[in-house]
Amino acid sequence: MKKTIALALVVMLAVTSLFANGGSESTAADADTYVIGFIGPLTGDNANYGIRCSNAANLAISEINAAGGIDGKQLRLIAENSLGTVDGAIAAYEKLVYSDNVCAIIGPVFTSPALAVAQRCYEDGIVMITPSATHKDVTSVGDFVYRTVPSDSLQSEVAAHYFYEVMGLRNIACLYAMNDYSQGLATGVEEIFTQLGGTVSAMETCMVGDRDFRTQLGAIRSTDAEAIYIPNYTVEDAQILEQAYQLGMNLPFLSSDGFSDPEIYNLAGDFTDGVIYVGPAQAEASTILTDFTAAYSAAYDGDLPDSFATNAYDATYILAAAIDRAGSADRQAINDEVKATTDFSGANGIINFADNGDMIASQGVYQVEGTTPVYLGSFQVVDGHIVQVD
Amino acid sequence: MDTLIQYLQYFVNGITLGSIYALIALGYTMVYGILKFINFAHGDILMVGAYIGLLTYTALLGSSTSAVWMLAAFFIAMIISMAFCALLGMFIERVAYKPLRNANRLAPLLSAIGVSFILSNGAAWIFGAQSRRFPYPFDDTPIVIAGLSITPHQILTMAVSVIMMIVLTLFVNKTKMGKAMRATSLDQSTSELMGIDANKIISMTFAIGSALAAVGGILASFDFRVYASMGTMTGLKAFVAAVIGGIGNIQGAMIGGILLGVLESIGAPLLGIPSALRDTIAFAALIIILLVRPEGILGKNEREKV
Repeated sequence: MKKTIALALVVMLAVTSLFANGGSESTAADADTYVIGFIGPLTGDNANYGIRCSNAANLAISEINAAGGIDGKQLRLIAENSLGTVDGAIAAYEKLVYSDNVCAIIGPVFTSPALAVAQRCYEDGIVMITPSATHKDVTSVGDFVYRTVPSDSLQSEVAAHYFYEVMGLRNIACLYAMNDYSQGLATGVEEIFTQLGGTVSAMETCMVGDRDFRTQLGAIRSTDAEAIYIPNYTVEDAQILEQAYQLGMNLPFLSSDGFSDPEIYNLAGDFTDGVIYVGPAQAEASTILTDFTAAYSAAYDGDLPDSFATNAYDATYILAAAIDRAGSADRQAINDEVKATTDFSGANGIINFADNGDMIASQGVYQVEGTTPVYLGSFQVVDGHIVQVD
Repeated sequence: MDTLIQYLQYFVNGITLGSIYALIALGYTMVYGILKFINFAHGDILMVGAYIGLLTYTALLGSSTSAVWMLAAFFIAMIISMAFCALLGMFIERVAYKPLRNANRLAPLLSAIGVSFILSNGAAWIFGAQSRRFPYPFDDTPIVIAGLSITPHQILTMAVSVIMMIVLTLFVNKTKMGKAMRATSLDQSTSELMGIDANKIISMTFAIGSALAAVGGILASFDFRVYASMGTMTGLKAFVAAVIGGIGNIQGAMIGGILLGVLESIGAPLLGIPSALRDTIAFAALIIILLVRPEGILGKNEREKV
């Protein structure tokens, strides 16, 4: 008799713990909220990127919630700090996926963390949409990984063609940081620029967090380079521009979408004048973009969104639409619906995903006048030649 | 010829960088000389110095654009920052190190690491995570002579560093307080028997070291920007400079700082290795110098007292 009671107790305990498990999973799924995770650097040198992206995602969510949510359910964003590092991003991922039970993830913001998290998302079967990780390998992990930012391979292709064909440069130098993002772009441009017949006379490197680039710039000065390509984040680029000026160098600078963060104008001031950078194509003046910019500025004390924040805003809406169509927090169903996204019209224009999860896009070219980027047009490479799209 | 100019340019840049390291290395070396203790919070003092300097400078300047007032405001801000850091250094010593003076040698070291975290995280919390520019208090148009370029802020950095080092050397060698400092560093208990108040000397050492760090921090912010973790790498390199020069030796810290700056600037191109490895060169130099001269360039090989 005692044995039976003991057995019953054990069974009951097992069942309750099963339910408890199920229960904690359903807090996210079945209650009246859908929980989305965000991973990005919220402190540190590059916090500007993470903060703007999470702000934009939060803005999208509050707009969706204000409009009644998804079938009456509210959306909620849990933003976790990756510190911009792989370790930090993995820790954030584990908290979001195993403890908070989010139904999808926006982020990570940087390439190296995104590569690591993409692998985990693929294994665990949870959708991640990064608004900013541009390395060509991010989406090659497999299913479940998407981005609302063009891949580097696209960016470096257009950049190299633009430098060679449109600007007529034949000899350039690169100065890039040893991280996946900068290295990926620099080596991509080097490869294509050389294929086109140009010369890359210096590939100078630095470490993330370096503050003194005079040695590298000095080495570039002694080459015949006609321009310097600096595909880095704002902190490094600001220092490079200023120190080049201090060394009396007046070569034109070329950069990448990292330059589209307005923080560069706080850090580098006037030294940005004349820089040409390849970044996201500007959406045709749409009301979505102007509305978003205005709403963002109103919500965050007049701060302006960078291109990644715009991508995060679109990513959030794409995710919300997918959840709506899936009708549940089922991670597989959400993946199917994100994949099925067709002609989504967001702040960045019409968005479609390629089979590998990459965004299909053309690239924009900008030239900075003083501290204002001027749009030169958007370009695509067709049959080995650059074509202006608009 | 071009290569010569090129290397002269690396050299000039290296000396500027090195004079900042030297100023900060002085704080490490002076404290070590007296307490045989590495103050790992010293790097964060330079960060506090940079912030205080930046805040006072901006506040003093207001909307003024007068060239004279800009320069004056800069030096006033520097003095205020030095005073603040001197007090901060003394306060930290009193609160976090003095109670541990007779404890296990590891205890004050750990306490210093704790202080370092408190300062850098505190700054990140108060001032935010983003880097800030320290505006030049003058027109920073580079002066180019025969392809060799030097900017006014580099000249300022070198000049201020040299003046500070001369003043410090005179103070240590010519004044009574300096004599007391040297005596305490040689033998604390004997100097106490001679009527020197060791506590006072230790406080003073922290004050002087921290004030120099404040100057180093402000000068460093022109090139490095002001941010909460700016003291970590710069502090570590200054510590390396102090060890290369012979820790405990004031002239050694100056030589070590300049040497490290020049090595860092010139090492990679000279050896033909990627510039990203410049810090590696600096730290490899540390290892080599320690292997050849474990006591550092000017360090004394202290004989064991029996």
